[in-house]
Amino acid sequence: MATQRPARPSTLKRNLWIAGATGLLAWAALTVNVDITDLASLPAGLWAILSRMIPPDLSYLESAVPAMMESIQMAWLGTIIGAALSLPLGFLGAKNVSSPVVSSVMRQILNAIRAFPELILAIAIFIPIAGLGPVAGTLAIGVHSAGTLGKLTAEAIEGIDDGPVEAARAVGGRGLQVQRWGVVPQVLPELIGFWLYRVEINIRASAVLGVVGAGGIGFLLQQTIVFGRWPQAGMAIIVVVVATIIVDTISGGIRRRIIVGSEAKTVAEVDLMAESPVGRSVS
Amino acid sequence: MIIFDKASVTYPGGVPALKDLTLEIPDGEMLVIVGLSGAGKSTLIRAVNGLVPLTGGDITIDGISLRGASTKQLRELRAHIGMIFQTFNLVKRTSVLNNVLMGRLHSTSTWRSLLGWYKPADVEIAMQALERVDIVEKAYVRAANLSGGQQQRVGIARALAQQPTILLADEPVASLDPPTSHVVMRDLQRINRDLGITTIVNLHFLDLAKVYGERIIGLRAGELVYDGTGEQADENVFRDIYGRSLTADDIMGAPESQPATIGA
Amino acid sequence: MTAAAAQASHRPTKPPRSRAIYAGLVAFVAITLVSVSEEWGIGLDLGSIVEDLGNGRVILEQLLAPNWAFLPRVVDPLLETFQIAVVAAFIGCGLALPISFFASRTTVPNHPTLTVSRGLLSVVRAIPDFLYALLFVAAVGIGPLPGILALIFFNVGVVAKLLSETVDSVDTGPIEAVDAGGSTRTQMVRWAVLPQVLPNYVAFSLYAFELNVRASTVLGFVGAGGIGFLLRVQYQFGFWSNVSVIIICLFFIVFAIELVSIRLRRRLV
Repeated sequence: MATQRPARPSTLKRNLWIAGATGLLAWAALTVNVDITDLASLPAGLWAILSRMIPPDLSYLESAVPAMMESIQMAWLGTIIGAALSLPLGFLGAKNVSSPVVSSVMRQILNAIRAFPELILAIAIFIPIAGLGPVAGTLAIGVHSAGTLGKLTAEAIEGIDDGPVEAARAVGGRGLQVQRWGVVPQVLPELIGFWLYRVEINIRASAVLGVVGAGGIGFLLQQTIVFGRWPQAGMAIIVVVVATIIVDTISGGIRRRIIVGSEAKTVAEVDLMAESPVGRSVS
Repeated sequence: MIIFDKASVTYPGGVPALKDLTLEIPDGEMLVIVGLSGAGKSTLIRAVNGLVPLTGGDITIDGISLRGASTKQLRELRAHIGMIFQTFNLVKRTSVLNNVLMGRLHSTSTWRSLLGWYKPADVEIAMQALERVDIVEKAYVRAANLSGGQQQRVGIARALAQQPTILLADEPVASLDPPTSHVVMRDLQRINRDLGITTIVNLHFLDLAKVYGERIIGLRAGELVYDGTGEQADENVFRDIYGRSLTADDIMGAPESQPATIGA
Repeated sequence: MTAAAAQASHRPTKPPRSRAIYAGLVAFVAITLVSVSEEWGIGLDLGSIVEDLGNGRVILEQLLAPNWAFLPRVVDPLLETFQIAVVAAFIGCGLALPISFFASRTTVPNHPTLTVSRGLLSVVRAIPDFLYALLFVAAVGIGPLPGILALIFFNVGVVAKLLSETVDSVDTGPIEAVDAGGSTRTQMVRWAVLPQVLPNYVAFSLYAFELNVRASTVLGFVGAGGIGFLLRVQYQFGFWSNVSVIIICLFFIVFAIELVSIRLRRRLV
C-alpha cells in the first residue's frame, strides 16, 4: 500500500505574523499626521535645493573643514573614553567573571546608560557642567558609548572558551593574571573591532551635537540649511560625506584585517553585534 | 605524598562524582586512572589541585589539607602542581613561549605579568622546559599554528615551567592520533623518571594504561574499584572496572613503533 | 662545546614586533594628543570639568523632580515618533532588500553595478540621519513627513549594507544548484539566496526600527516630527522638570521596544 502523502504543514503562525505586521503598518501610515499631498511637493522641493547647491562654495571649506575636524576629534576622544570605561564595566557585567548578582546589576546599569541618546546627555548633563563647546559633546559621546561598548564587552567575555582560563587558574595565577592571560587574549580582537565600529557611529552622532552648541559641524549644517545658504550647505555636506567615507574606509579596513587574523565571524555579524543587543544569537 | 581520606565530591544538583575515596600516592609515582566517562576521573584529578572543591572528606598534599585551605593557600599549592588538559587549553593567539611563561605566573608580580615582562631567569626556565619536550625551535610561533601533538607538548612545557612536584594529566592524549599519543605518554614517563615528579594520568585507552601505568586504579561511579600494577591488569580486570565487556573503542590499537621525536 | 651550550644554540631569536603595530600605536597616540590639545583640538581639560561639576546643580535638581502633570502632552508626540519609526522601517527596509542584492558580490558578480551600488551605498550611509532631516524639512516643510523620508534613507543605508555583507558570505551551494537548472538571475536570488538571508533580514529590520525610535529625539529637534520637537521647546525655555518627564518616557519606550525586539530576534534564530 502506498504511504500517505503528508498534510501540508500549517502556515497559520507565519500568516498571523504577516497580518500583524501589515496591520501595524496600516495603522501607522493612516494615523500619522501627514498630508499625502505634501509628497507631491517633494520633487520640486528637492530640485530647488539641489540645483542651488551646484556649484558649491569652495571658500566655505575654510569654515567647514575645521568644524568637521572638530567632529572627528570629538568622535575619536569620545570613543576612547567610552572604550576605557567599558573595560571595567564589561568585566563586571560578565557572568563568568564577576558574580551572577553583580553582573545582572551592571547589565541593567549599562542598559540605562545606553538608553540616553548623546543629545540628551549633552543637553541635560554635560553642557550644564562643562559649558558649551566640544568638551561637552565629547563627554556625552563617551558616556553613551561606554554603555553600548560595556554591554558588547560583557557579551564577548561571556562567549569565551574557558579552557585557557582553567589553565591560568591551574598554574596558580592570581585574579588579574587569570583575566589577562585567560580572558583578554580571546576577546581582544573582537573588542578592537567594536571600538573601531564605534568610531564610525560616533562620527555621525557628533554631527548633531553642534545643533545644541556641543561642538562639531552640526551647527554649520543647521545654519546654512535653515537659512537657505545652499552653495555653502552643499560644501559642508560634501565635507561631511567625504570625511565620513574616509573614516569608514580606514576603520573597516583595519577591522577586516583583525577579523581575518582571528578566525572569527563575518563582517556583517561583527557590525550587527557592534550595535545590537542580540548580535550573538543572530550569528 | 598525596593522601585521599574519604574524599567526596557531590555536584550541585545532587550528582555524586566521587564517593569516599581513600588512597595514598607516594612521591614520584606514575599513577594511571581508568574508568568510563562520568566515573569520576576528571573530578578526582581536579580535586587534587582544588579546581573542584571537596564536599566531604579531605585530601592532604605533603601535610597540607585542601579542605581547610584559603584561596591564597590553594594558589600556592597550585603553583607547584602542573596540569595538562585534553584540549591543551593554550592561549591560541599568542606565542608558544608566552604560553609556557604562564607557568611562571605564580612567581611574577601582577604588573609584570600584565605587561608580559617576565624576568630573564623565568624566560630561561621556560626555554629549558621547551627544550625538555623538544619543541624549543617553535618558541615564537603562534600556538594556533601547531599540530595537536605539538600543542600538547607545549602544554607539558607550561606545566614543567612551574617546576612542579606533582603533574596532573586529564586525558592528555584523547585528542591525538596513536603515534603522537605514544610520544606524549613517553614524554610523561621520562619526566616522571628523570625528574621524580609524582604523575597522575587519566587515560581512556586501556592498552595505553597497561603499558604506561606503573600503578593503575579503576573508578566506577565515583568509587575506587581496582588498585594494582600495570602488569596485573588484564582484560578481566578492565571489564570489572567498566562493568561491561570491552569494545574496540576502549583500545587505541596502534603499535608503539615510532622513534622518539616526531615533528608532526 | 658542552651539551647544554649545543642545545642552547638551537633556541630561536625573538622576531621583531611587526611594523604595522608600531605605526598603529604611534598614529593612535598622535591623533589623541592632537585631539586633546587646546590649539588644534578640543581643549579637553579634565581639571576644569571637575571644578565645574557644581554648575549643573540647579538643573540637576529640577531634572530629579519630574513634573508629572506634563505627561499628557508627551503622549501624542511619542505616538508620532512610533508612527514615523514604523512607516520608515517598512519602506526603508523594503527598499533595502533589492538594493542589497545589487551591492553584493554573490548576486552581481559583474563589476560595474557592484562598484556603483556600493559607492552609492557608502554615500547614503555617510550622511547622518539628522542631516537628512534638515534637508527634507527644507524641501517639504516641517512635520512627520520629512522625518519619515529621512529615516527611509537612513534605514536603506544601514540595512542594505548589513544585508549585502550577509549575502556576501552566503552558502554558494544552492546558487550553483539553481544555476545548473538554468534559471534567471532573479530566480536565483529569489530561491537560492533569499531563503538563506531571510532571518537575518528580519533581524536587521527590527534593529533598524529600534534605531528609528532612538533617532526620534534628533529628528524632532530639527522639526521632522516626533518627541524631539517638544523636547527642544522645553529645553530652550529651561523647563527642566518637563524635560525630565520626556527623558523618562523616552527611556522606558526605548527599553520596552528593545526587550520586544530581542525576544522577536531570538525566535528568528
